[in-house]
Formats: sequence, structure tokens, C-alpha cells
Amino acid sequence: MSKLVSSDGRTHITSSLMRESLVDRKVIAKTNSAEEFSIMPDVTLVSIGGQSIFDRGKAAVLPLVTELAAIRESRKYKMVIGVGGGARVRHTIAIALDLGLPTGGVAQLVGAMEEANAVFLNALMAKHGSIVMQREHFWELPLYLESGMLPIVISTPPYHFWEPPPVEDSPMPTHGSDFGLFIHAEVLGMKRIIFVKDEDGLYDKDPKKHSDARLIKKTTLGRLLGEMPEELILDQLLFKTWQNARHVERIQIVNGLRPGELTRALAGEDVGTVIMKEKIDG
Amino acid sequence: MGEQGPETSPRKGIANLPGVASFEQASAAGFDYRPVALMPDVKVLKIGGQSLLDRGRKALFPVLDEIAAAKDKHKLLVCCGGGTRARHIYSVASDLELPTGVLAALGGYVPRQNARMLQMLLAKHGGIFMLHDDFEKLPLYFRLGCIPIMTGMPPFGYWEKPAENSRIPQNRTDAGVFLSAEVLGAKRAIFVKDEDGLYDDDPKKNKSAKLIPRITAKELLALDLPDLILERVVIEYLQRARFCTELQIINGLVPGMLTRALEGEDVGTIISKA
Repeated sequence: MSKLVSSDGRTHITSSLMRESLVDRKVIAKTNSAEEFSIMPDVTLVSIGGQSIFDRGKAAVLPLVTELAAIRESRKYKMVIGVGGGARVRHTIAIALDLGLPTGGVAQLVGAMEEANAVFLNALMAKHGSIVMQREHFWELPLYLESGMLPIVISTPPYHFWEPPPVEDSPMPTHGSDFGLFIHAEVLGMKRIIFVKDEDGLYDKDPKKHSDARLIKKTTLGRLLGEMPEELILDQLLFKTWQNARHVERIQIVNGLRPGELTRALAGEDVGTVIMKEKIDG
Repeated sequence: MGEQGPETSPRKGIANLPGVASFEQASAAGFDYRPVALMPDVKVLKIGGQSLLDRGRKALFPVLDEIAAAKDKHKLLVCCGGGTRARHIYSVASDLELPTGVLAALGGYVPRQNARMLQMLLAKHGGIFMLHDDFEKLPLYFRLGCIPIMTGMPPFGYWEKPAENSRIPQNRTDAGVFLSAEVLGAKRAIFVKDEDGLYDDDPKKNKSAKLIPRITAKELLALDLPDLILERVVIEYLQRARFCTELQIINGLVPGMLTRALEGEDVGTIISKA
């Protein structure tokens, strides 16, 4: 049982970390474990791209809405929808940097542009049971899912003014939407994330610029980190963070412009690009 | 490949607006980024959790007296550490096998409690408790002569990155205090603790440990100490800081030390960007 100890002028509660420095590597290693609890392991996070889907308007969004409605109607999968911001986020950053706003100031601004896409999607999906999950309702996610609703979340993590200084020379915030969604899935112990984009998957270089770009159908995180393509459809930070993650096993990138791909991915088919955390056969 | 993809309408971009072109080259050398310091004259300070708050009245009241005496001369943003209750939460939560992000979210409760305690004690001097969402109201608080008091924890919560060999969140109250100073454009962040500064070993365990009055982030990391007086990420961030290029660690148990630090004196230890 925990009790209070105050022999050194400070009042402590007895615990494995009492009096200890939380910077001491040996001390904090005691909190590590291979048995971390998965909070919601059977939920899939589905990300709908901002630039790649929303910015294409009706032609790209409506077929996807129809598909999502059918998936939800089937009641086979529990999923959370994440939305990106797209062109408005890029524009916000461009203006904010031109004005000389600090990195944290830029980070404070961008989430609002994703909120707009969350509202667009919610307006189109409301009759199919969608709901925008505000961050302060984090622990209501099980309620939404158990009642058969389709929660929609924004992607950018809430680092806001406290965005750490960027690693590279560029003043752009480091912790963007791909990273934010990844962490959202990881902290809830989800096993898979599906990114819905406007390409057939991950290429060795940007297929919009290079006609000889090669699609990578299946790979592992280790292989990808060893040979990271210079132009990536997802943010590098996602992959670096994945290395230390305990739960996410599979990330899939599918083409949302091809009707049915998302449904097939949810059913476990290897459409698009599949990236596994662990080794795969062959 | 793009051209083999299904027929659909193109992406709607926002072209030909000022700044867009420069953003596309933002990562390229030569991009003319001229950062603006938002409130460079704010003094951001952290009141240690385990080091001061958990010592109670005896340690805390003299520090609060110094804060009250300085508040008309300086714009003070007071941030709170966690301390033993945060350690208890981390210990229980990791025993329950909960992930880092949950620990970070839970770890936020204690410094917020501490901030509320300080607000009650400083209320008669204009102490105002503020949340992260109130950050943009800082100019108002200072204009009114208030002492804004907030948690030191950054708002990452459930979005805190998992670390390799630990489930303790890497960004805790030291990180939040540094990042607050950085975004405000303040040159120094002041950490009020219960030791005279940074030592070459833990002075609580080794009596012959030597005080280091000044050191650079690079030199400090090169020492590769098994323990450090500030969170490791803060020393990493410091090397990339644009504004907050100095961290000052002082002993809040020594009367007058905080006042001298607020006057810009190099008391305690200064860890600098370069």
C-alpha cells in the first residue's frame, strides 16, 4: 500500500518511482514492458487525405461517402475516420511563415483547417451515423463505437504553441497529421491504420512527378527505414515513431479514387501498399 | 501511377497567393524566414514539483514572496512541476500496463493541481490560473498586472510519442516550460529547484559532486550522464531553439536567488544553446 514519507523535507508517496529522477535511464527503464495493454485493439483507423481526397471535391468525396455508408451498414468493422486538411493547411503555413510566426504559432493554427473537413464529412455522413469526436470527448469513443456510430477525428496532434523546435532548417512544424493519426491509433492499441489517398500506394518516388516510379506492394517497416524513398506519400516521422510503438502492426495505403478499395482493405485484402511492423514471409 | 488512375476532378489548390511560392521552398536554403518574437520580455519560470512544492510551506512561501515582490517589475509566467503524485500516477499506470500517451494525459493532472494551489496563494497579488487554451490571453493578464500560473506540462497528452525503453512521457514539465519560453520568444527559461544548479553527479547522493556554473547543450550531452537535472528532450530542443537559448537552474531554497535570476544575474547554472 502507498503511504506518505517525509524524512528529507519533501513529502513523498511510496511508489516504485519515489524520490527517483525521471531522467535517470535505469529508473525509467523499470516502467518498460512487452505486455502493454491494448485499449481498443479491434478498431481500425481510416484516414481520408486532405489534398488527395477532400481537395478534389464531389467527384472524389461522394463515392467514398457511399462506400463508407455501406461499410458502416454492414456493421462488420469498428472504425474511426481521421481527416487531413489539404490545401488550406499548406496555405496557412505559407502565410504564417511569411509573417514570421514562430513554429509553435504555426502549429496552433493548422488544426482548424482540418476541422472544416471533419464538418464537411460529418454533414455528408450524418444520416449514416457519423459524429465529430472533439478531443475533450476522447474517452467517449467506446460509446460512439458501441452504439454503431462512425466517429470522425482531426489528425494534427494537439501540440499547438508547444510544438518542439524543428529538426531541420525549415521552420515548419514537425508533428503533422500522419504522425498525429498514428499516435491516436497507437495510444488506443489499434492494430491497423488505412490511409486513403489518391495514389495506388507507396512508390519509390513521387508518381506524380516520375513516370517510372515503382509501386511497393508489400514491405516491412525495417526494410522501409533501411531504404527510405526521398519522396514519400506519408510523413517520415510516422515511420520513425512506429519503431518505438507497441501496438500498430499494419499500415495500408489505398487509392480512394478506386471504388471498393477501402472495403477490400478493411476485409484484410492486400490492396494498395501494405507495410508490416514485423517480418513478412517471402 | 497518376495517369493510370481513375478519372476524377483534379485537386483544388490555392495558387498565386502571397507566400505560397515561398512556402514550397521553405525547406530550401535561402528561404527568407524572419521569425517574430511574440513577447520577448516575459520571464518564464518553473516551480519544481518534487523539489519545492512537495516541501510545502517552508520552501514555497519565501519563493512566492519573491514572485509577489517582482511582479510589478517583470512579466512573470509561472509554470508548475508535478512531483511525487505524478510519480505515483506513473508508477501505478505503468504497473497497469497503460501506454505512454495515457501516462502523459494522467501526468497532466498533478501540475494543474499545483498551479491551482499557487493561484490560491497568489490570488491577492493577482495570481490567475490559466489553461493552455488561455495562452493567447497572456497580454491581457500582464496588462492587468496579473501573475498567470499554469501547468508546466505541454498539451501533448494522449499524443505523446512512445519512447524506446520506458513508458514515462519524454515531454514533461521541463519541456513544457522551455517550449512556452521558445514560442513567446523569451531568451531564458528559469527552473527553480532545490539544488544550486547542475552538478557533475547527483548532489543528493554524492557529497563531492561539483557545481557546473555554465555549460553548452552539446558539452552536456557529450558528458552522457546517466542522470540529468532537466528532461533530456529539453537539452535536445535547446540546440535547435530560435529564441530560448539559455536555461537557468537556481536554488529556490536560497533566499534572494530567484530575484537575482529575474534581474538577469547568472546565478546557479546556465545551460546555453552554444
